[in-house]
Amino acid sequence: MDKNEDQYYIEAVRKGNIQAFSFLVEKYQKLIYTLALKLLKRPEDAEEMAQDTFIKAFQKLDMYEGKSKFSTWLYSITYNACISELRKRRIEFKSLEDQRITEQDEMKMHDYYRETKKEDQEKYLNLALGKLPEDDQILVTLYYYENQSMDEISEITGLTVSNIKVKIHRARKKMYSLLHEMLNEEIYSLL
Amino acid sequence: MNKLDKQFEDMMKGIRIDSPSSDFTLKVMSRIQAEAAVAKRPILADYQPVISKKTWIILISGFVLLMIFISVSGNDAAPASNSGFWSSVAQSMNAFKTSQSSIMQKGAGIFSSVPQIAYLIVLASLALWTLDGFLGKFSHRSSGIHIK
Repeated sequence: MDKNEDQYYIEAVRKGNIQAFSFLVEKYQKLIYTLALKLLKRPEDAEEMAQDTFIKAFQKLDMYEGKSKFSTWLYSITYNACISELRKRRIEFKSLEDQRITEQDEMKMHDYYRETKKEDQEKYLNLALGKLPEDDQILVTLYYYENQSMDEISEITGLTVSNIKVKIHRARKKMYSLLHEMLNEEIYSLL
Repeated sequence: MNKLDKQFEDMMKGIRIDSPSSDFTLKVMSRIQAEAAVAKRPILADYQPVISKKTWIILISGFVLLMIFISVSGNDAAPASNSGFWSSVAQSMNAFKTSQSSIMQKGAGIFSSVPQIAYLIVLASLALWTLDGFLGKFSHRSSGIHIK
């Protein structure tokens, strides 16, 4: 349904109804902006990059064959443009060291997290996510938030599926570890 | 997706996603409208060749005729003779050889006497002609998306 809806508007744009493109801009702007922001950090750069992504998508709309989801195609444009921008700035992603957290620790951490206040949950989660390397933030957002499959993420980022699996697994553990540190700090500050 | 993944996904769904400025769609759409307007009316849409094809044909013909006239006008006429078929053939061959060497000499003479600026003019004209043809090819090309 979602793909058909996108396809309907894409066809409308191709037939000359440019205004139909605003539906696609409206629908995907938040996630495109979020991805750009996670990689570029500065809101003004992210906004410009998000705009450029939509302009590029409009210009190349005839090249979109519909084999993958429109969102996947859009995310790959954003990701590649951001990576080229970062290369220009000579910024490299930090790597993530393995976290020694067991599955039981993850379960306990999750229960602990659930007990914290809703507004704090969001705050800590955003802080923890922000501490991950930029490319891992993208993988986590696409996989857990945007429900993109491993294959789709592979199409967007150019990484292999096995590499994505490993990176997501490590990123999840790292996030739990960061949440653990932050929530412990909060408990100590209360005591 | 295993239990831990599912649990993490539930957690991640709780985060609020970042939003661009409130007039983001408007900004993008105005850039797209501008883009589409340019695509509809390419810069070269009204391009007319500086020198038309007809003028080029006239100029080239004139140049060729001038060259022929210069090389032929200086030729000494072959002496007339009525001493049979073979001698007339020999005379014709001789006349041809003479005219050939005369043309070459004259040609060399003409080219050596032509000032360098004339070569530059010819080269510039050829460059202009090539550019003319190249731009002409793009004059009516537009983008894949057409505005109603």
